[in-house]
Amino acid sequence: MSQSVDIAEADPPVIDSPLARSRRTTELTLVVMAALITGASYTIAALGTNAEIPPGIAVFLAILMALLLFAHVMVRLVARGADGTLLPLAALLHGIGFVMITRLDDELAALQATWSLVAVGAFAATLLVVQRANDLARYSWLFFVAGAGLLMLPLVPGLGSTINGARIWVSLGPINFQPGEFAKLALAIFFASYLADRRELIAAHTWKVGPLHLPEPRYILPIILAWGFAVVMMVGQRDLGSSLLFFTLFVVMLWVATERIGYLLLGLVLFASAAYVAWTQFGHVQTRVDIWLDPWADPLDSGYQIIQSLYGLSDGGLTGTGLGRGNPGQVPEAQNDFIFSSIGEELGLVGASAVLMAYILLVGAGLRIALRTDRPFEKLLAVGLTTIVGIQGFIIIGGVIKVVPLTGITLPFVSYGGSSLVANYILLALLIRLSDSSARRLRELPDDPTPTERWKAWRLSRRIRRGQHIELGAAEQIGHGT
Amino acid sequence: MNRQIRQLAVGLMACYVVLFVALNYWQVGRKQELDARFDNTRAVLREFNKPRGPIVTSDGIVAAVSFPAAPGELYEFRREYPTGDLLSDVTGYFTFAFGSTQVEREYGDVLTGSTTEQQVRSLGDLLGGDVDAAGSVELALRHDAQSAAKFLLAGREGSITVIEPATGAIRAMYSNPTYDPNTFVNADFEVAQEIITELQEAPGNPLLAQAYQERYMPGSTFKVITTGIGLEEGVLTLDTVFPDERQWVPPQTTDPIQNYNGSLCGGDLATVFARSCNIPFAKTAVELGPEAMVSGTEAWGIDEELPIDLPRPAASTFGDTGSLDQELPLLAIRGFGQSETQMVPLHMAMVAGTVANGGRMMEPYAVEATYDSADRVLDRTTPELWKTPISPTTAAIETGLMIGVAERGTASCCIALNGGIPVAAKTGTAELGVPSNPDLSHAWIVAFAPADAPQYAVSVVLTNVQSTADVAATGGRLAGPIAKGMLDYLLTGPGAQPTPAAPSGSLPEGSGG
Repeated sequence: MSQSVDIAEADPPVIDSPLARSRRTTELTLVVMAALITGASYTIAALGTNAEIPPGIAVFLAILMALLLFAHVMVRLVARGADGTLLPLAALLHGIGFVMITRLDDELAALQATWSLVAVGAFAATLLVVQRANDLARYSWLFFVAGAGLLMLPLVPGLGSTINGARIWVSLGPINFQPGEFAKLALAIFFASYLADRRELIAAHTWKVGPLHLPEPRYILPIILAWGFAVVMMVGQRDLGSSLLFFTLFVVMLWVATERIGYLLLGLVLFASAAYVAWTQFGHVQTRVDIWLDPWADPLDSGYQIIQSLYGLSDGGLTGTGLGRGNPGQVPEAQNDFIFSSIGEELGLVGASAVLMAYILLVGAGLRIALRTDRPFEKLLAVGLTTIVGIQGFIIIGGVIKVVPLTGITLPFVSYGGSSLVANYILLALLIRLSDSSARRLRELPDDPTPTERWKAWRLSRRIRRGQHIELGAAEQIGHGT
Repeated sequence: MNRQIRQLAVGLMACYVVLFVALNYWQVGRKQELDARFDNTRAVLREFNKPRGPIVTSDGIVAAVSFPAAPGELYEFRREYPTGDLLSDVTGYFTFAFGSTQVEREYGDVLTGSTTEQQVRSLGDLLGGDVDAAGSVELALRHDAQSAAKFLLAGREGSITVIEPATGAIRAMYSNPTYDPNTFVNADFEVAQEIITELQEAPGNPLLAQAYQERYMPGSTFKVITTGIGLEEGVLTLDTVFPDERQWVPPQTTDPIQNYNGSLCGGDLATVFARSCNIPFAKTAVELGPEAMVSGTEAWGIDEELPIDLPRPAASTFGDTGSLDQELPLLAIRGFGQSETQMVPLHMAMVAGTVANGGRMMEPYAVEATYDSADRVLDRTTPELWKTPISPTTAAIETGLMIGVAERGTASCCIALNGGIPVAAKTGTAELGVPSNPDLSHAWIVAFAPADAPQYAVSVVLTNVQSTADVAATGGRLAGPIAKGMLDYLLTGPGAQPTPAAPSGSLPEGSGG
């Protein structure tokens, strides 16, 4: 142990950081509030449905509180400089979603509770494994392969399965999961890394084709590939929502990286043409659009779901029917894609707007991280992860309230679904890690070494003591920050 | 890149503003239109999926109750009627698609806990952990009396009504044909629709509570009213004597009026009342004249919906009274309960009850009390006077006349009660005058007992009964034994109460009434 003391002495003395401490206090307060709101909603929903206080309310509250405090303590231990609003916002959305799922279907609620444990576990694990955001950039091609592989997994015969018309599921023994939920994270990391390295090259437009100045093909090719990929997915898996999400993600990141609005416009044109072709070629796309334009054309079959969703929203009105007092079960798949309309029905415009606000705040916090950091990779990753949450929320909420055609996709943190929940908590952990990194670089708190770095330093010092020759590379590994 | 990130922030913000605007559009802007759409079942579903309290008879038998439905069933609750068709005339039914009737309809707010008082009370209970606000309804009807009525009617078309003269409490009200709500209330839409349509089109209209929602020609039971008016107006006294006559030609016509079966009939008031001669009462009606007769019948509550605490009661009628002074023969005939005169069976029980109650006609009620979810009294029915058509003196005279009917008159065959309990009665045989079937009639009896301290008033009507060559379908012979059975059961049989019924039943402890 004496060796590590030596290293500690070499470091600047640890300065207490009031900023980090106040962020954690804020987080703790907000997390407790989210837990209390969830617990109260849970009780009210049970009163509304069964007219009795749920028998396990104390146990429920205790587990909920323990889970959230565990997540909070993890942040406090390994990312104490991070923004204090991210975790509470996710906890609130997660809590409201869980209450709605419980109110809709007890059995699903039990499964969702299990997934919540796994998700918070994944959250902690991500914070522990990814101690420096830059570590991720080193494995960018691995993430590319992993992301692409995950996306194609459902197409593998024997593994993939089709549920509700979309082939986005993978069955491994008893476990069903949607690899697409994880693929979006992997691809966001790959894109952030790829674009951070080559953004200037792509933006340079050194390839002249006649009067046009275009980016070098070898730099732009992966982007084109990604776009093609999204279209292929659209065709192969009938998953319009995910295709739209991926495509938007790529275009947004490309635009932010190159700082050229042309890519955004090009993306729009490409999307529009792809969508038009899909609309003319595929019956299921046409059906979606027709339902969107006029659900009442076929009120008992294809339009039924969206019509029931709108009736639910309207029945809820300004203040809602009250938790447990509405009939959100009238909407097929209410616990999943349509959970937002259940919230709108029972909590009204007021409650639904609160959920919208939570997403806006989450997006705001995410983009603030992107603004604060000075490293392109971290900027782009924060932009990518935030875009995933923001756009995904918009696509599905817009779908159930007839703003855009309905495409099946989960509402982040709220919908029922294990893959989605776990993936979104990993995403949250990454955002918190990015936020913590930027705070340390902004000297808002001392940039003390991570446990891994301490261990490497200890190993190095041992080798020095044994008189071994120090290689330059090894020394570099300890260095970090600037 | 920061500029793009800020633009992205604005863009995403705009997306959510669009969502917020759309949300306002659906939840506020188009709310009324969407809520009113015919295929929007939310409002009905919400009502239907509320817990619903029970309806219980005054002797504690559950007549309607809800159970949570098994998972996968159509609705969240099953509504069940454990007494089958016995009390359906009073409880009514409660369905998702076809509305509700009777107590289920009139007291729906209490049963779901939606009255303001229940809402306020359950707000207080929220702290105590009980928010099931569903209330319950206690009927005035007795399950045992109702069963006796059903047994005595033995499937014959008609109805039996038992009230307490002093309070107006309905202790039994059963009629045939009837129906069992269990057959359709929990059924699928199509099945329920089929059964209800079948019941609606069935002869005799089983879905109606005939005892208070239907009216029939009363025949000679109406003479209680005509006599009452005559005594009040001074046209009749106990000393009035009518000549023995076979027929009498009223003014404005040449067609004579006959007694029942064309018999020779006359004597003092007690005699003609006991023998139920027609001519004396035709003469009384004519002598009273249209004006006194119409205002007299109105004093008895005729031409007014019965003030019962159940939906859609019928009104008795004295027929078209617009030009009666030009149609004195009609007035004469209506005076003894034929022609256009039609009485609701419950109203006839109230008529007997009025005589029994010293001339005071009480409002009839089927619901004794309502309770909130914690069994605290919400409302207890207090007996209300409806009409006072006759003075106590007249009532005493009529009681004597009706005792005469039971002891020596048209009911003497059949009404003598067990244990020699004095009884007062009036029979009626309403000849329907159907040209193709002249022997079709309604057989009536109204009675109350004990005649010296009345506890119960009964009306019995057997509708559309057929006289044969051997047996005349008269009220005394057909309806008399039923009234006797009912009164025997209630006074000396298994249904006898240990003490005479108190005016408003026993008050539960601590209730504010």
